[in-house]
Amino acid sequence: MSFWIGSMQKHIEGFKELTTYNDIVNIAAPKEVYIPLMNGMSTAFEVLVKEGDRVFVNTKVAVRNDRFEVPLFSPVSGVVKGIKKMMHASLKQVEHIVIENDELYESTNSIPHFDLENATKEEVIDFVKDAGIVGMGGAGFPTYFKYLTPATLHYVLINAVECEPYITSDYRMMENYTQDLITGFIALKKMANAKEVHIAIKKSKKTLIKYIQEAIKPYPFASIKEVDDVYPMGWERTLVYAIYKKRYDRIPCEVNVIVNNATTAIALGQALNHQQGPTHKMVTVSGNGIKNPANVFVPVGTPASHIISQLGGYTSEEITCVAGGPMMGKTMTNDLWVITPYTNAITITKTVKIDDMTCLRCGTCNDHCPAGLLPVRINNAEQAKNVDLIAQLNADLCIECGLCTYVCPSKLEVTEGVRKAKRALALKKGA
Amino acid sequence: MKFTYKVSPTMKTRQSTQQIMFLLTLGLMAVVLFSSAFYFVEYGINHVIHLWSLLAVAVLVAVGSEALWAYFLKKDVVKYLKTSFPWVTAIILVLMVPISTPLYPIAIGTIFAIVVAKLLFGGFGHNVFNLAGVGRTVMLFSFGASIMPDLITSATPISSIANIGWIITDPTLVEPFLTQFGGVTGLLLGWYPGAIGETSALLIMLIGAFLAFKNVLDWRIPVFYIGTLFALASIIAVIQGVGIWYPLFHIFAGGAMFGAVFMLTDPVTNPTSASGRIIFAMGAAIITILIRVQGNYPGGVVFSILIMNMLSPMIDRLTDGWQIAMSKKYVTSMITVGVVGAILMGIVGLNMQAIVVAEPEPEVPDITLSTPISLDQSETTIQGVVLSSTTEGDFEIVLVEIRGYAVLEGGYDDAQPNKVEVKINKSTLKVDSVKIVEIKDTNNIGTKVDDPIFLDQFKDVDQASSVDAVTGATVTSLSVVRAVYAALESVKGGE
Repeated sequence: MSFWIGSMQKHIEGFKELTTYNDIVNIAAPKEVYIPLMNGMSTAFEVLVKEGDRVFVNTKVAVRNDRFEVPLFSPVSGVVKGIKKMMHASLKQVEHIVIENDELYESTNSIPHFDLENATKEEVIDFVKDAGIVGMGGAGFPTYFKYLTPATLHYVLINAVECEPYITSDYRMMENYTQDLITGFIALKKMANAKEVHIAIKKSKKTLIKYIQEAIKPYPFASIKEVDDVYPMGWERTLVYAIYKKRYDRIPCEVNVIVNNATTAIALGQALNHQQGPTHKMVTVSGNGIKNPANVFVPVGTPASHIISQLGGYTSEEITCVAGGPMMGKTMTNDLWVITPYTNAITITKTVKIDDMTCLRCGTCNDHCPAGLLPVRINNAEQAKNVDLIAQLNADLCIECGLCTYVCPSKLEVTEGVRKAKRALALKKGA
Repeated sequence: MKFTYKVSPTMKTRQSTQQIMFLLTLGLMAVVLFSSAFYFVEYGINHVIHLWSLLAVAVLVAVGSEALWAYFLKKDVVKYLKTSFPWVTAIILVLMVPISTPLYPIAIGTIFAIVVAKLLFGGFGHNVFNLAGVGRTVMLFSFGASIMPDLITSATPISSIANIGWIITDPTLVEPFLTQFGGVTGLLLGWYPGAIGETSALLIMLIGAFLAFKNVLDWRIPVFYIGTLFALASIIAVIQGVGIWYPLFHIFAGGAMFGAVFMLTDPVTNPTSASGRIIFAMGAAIITILIRVQGNYPGGVVFSILIMNMLSPMIDRLTDGWQIAMSKKYVTSMITVGVVGAILMGIVGLNMQAIVVAEPEPEVPDITLSTPISLDQSETTIQGVVLSSTTEGDFEIVLVEIRGYAVLEGGYDDAQPNKVEVKINKSTLKVDSVKIVEIKDTNNIGTKVDDPIFLDQFKDVDQASSVDAVTGATVTSLSVVRAVYAALESVKGGE
């Protein structure tokens, strides 16, 4: 951020009041749940159950078996009905384990009791791996893997910024599972061998800041870092720069910081305190397209349609349904996809047709790109099919945060142009 | 149930290009209103009517050209105009010309701006040059004389200082020079003639600040343009040993502020990166000041904008890359441009010379006097003939006919005598005044005697006095003296 680059961020309307204060709706599992065999971009899973097997709550049903190890757990008790290919929250056709819910919710102890106090760093990392803890902010990256870094870490940064509009699930999780949050960050601190834990919360969330401040008083190594209400403050690079004034090349460990989402810490706390796997998820269902916006607590594998009908259904015949927030989420073509362990929101808005017009070269996208890229130049290079220029413009550093499209006064799909450029660049690199 | 698919993000800011152009139009209209007020108060309603006529012609021509264009391209005319904003160019163009501009040049300027510089380049968003700048330049080269300021509105600060070489080193001349525009404060407030929109720097600054706050324009451009202009003019000021008024004059007078806020910021013709826009603005400031102090044109703002427009794509190429990694290069580039500007100003500043305006020559009188003639000496054979004599209170007015050069020496057949009216105070017997009624002598020679320099000599003369003859018209002078003598004689005799 400087006068010769631009603000690299922007305050955008949050619509958080829709779901911050009303009741959390507990949604019971439907008759059938579908456990998606996908994590990140990977569908390499070993299925541990077969058709006809009886499973319990917390039964390990599958495990990712490429270079990462991520187990998946059943959120219900019942019978495995087989494997079904269906649309995933990533818009891809993915295999799902179908489990018929017997509504008995019998539980098994696949996650052992763990003595955090006397455990070594390596033991905690193994526990995190076995508990299937992944980045709950939406990315789903295996948490244990980050802590295998040999770098010296000074700070564990708990990311509770939640900068996507509409989403309040982190907020409500922290409010309702404060003790799990504390257990979680103690465990993360242990894994990192860090000195301090910093919790990043937007300045504007005054009530939450006050509440958490009170709760972490007994832990002098933990403190709150207030950050501006701008997008994308929740992105690691933006956040680390805002708090520590440091930029890094690839990962925050280079500047002795490790970042985890607040809900990730809570999921870890729940595994430690209650031997509970990441089988349930707090999901913000919001937007002007849903009758009763609310946060729902829902089993993983529940179809979106089930949740939406329980919240009164849609408000319009023509809606845009997004898995995630409106900035980075994927627009879905139906509502039959299911909640994954790292889905944090469903954003449903009435469809508005907006006419675009010629780019007036105002450069607003360039001034706001949090990655410091020049989106309009990348778009121009893409239109000219000039891959060398795309490479020079470092299009591959784009995280597709969507801010360039958001700020464009001519209503152009700038982010999509950058995506195309990235694909062209990847093709060339691959060739 | 219909699920609309749209690539993410699905949320967009409320600000639109239409909104940006609307606010820009509002800002421009504020300048129009200020100018209307100025011309109304200082020159009357006719100037205001002319201003609005110019505006009406320009806007109609601009909108009309684009409507026709859209019609012939078989496009939805209304939709085309709504995303093309031709009126903005028209208003800016009107604000750049002097109030004395007739209507047809503004129409032609507008057509060039819209059709040639915009539509032929591909329409909105594709033009290379600032549209109004192109229109203004075409008008300057095509109608230079007819759009020059007229007499009553001619003394603009820019033309005045351009006439004396863009510098005043004599401290005693600075004060009177600035006073004619109300001093530096007057320049800031802008209550003086100029191009219609280049008057109030203060008003334009306020509008600029508002538009920057509303994200209509990038604050970097006006700030760096005006800042660089001020810094460069300060270098000249230091070299030439003149005061702070000099850089202030550069930024407040002429089109600098208007260009900075309304023309240089035209995003279509700017580089797209923040750093690029800073370099762009600095470059424009250097060119502006070079054209001003070294060029043949009084103002340099429009040309500097057009020249920098040409460089925009190159600046974009210069700043291409990952901005965070390029920071050092950006800062180096800015410093380099600044240093080049400073060196140029050093050279210019050392070579600048105030043009000393010659003192106005003392007024050359029409006649000079020589050869004294005493009245009694004039009494010779040639005597005046008293034609009439009337009493008017204490005075006697005597009309005398007297033979002059034409009769005595000209030798023309139809030569006529001269007629002189002499007013004499009867109590003192002195002449009160002499009036020439008719001089029949050689035109432009004999007629020279009808001049107060000669005639005023007769005040209070009597027959003992003498007066000086008009050089080169001695004989005619003598005839007047004889007439006076004759008149005095007649009044004396009449008693």
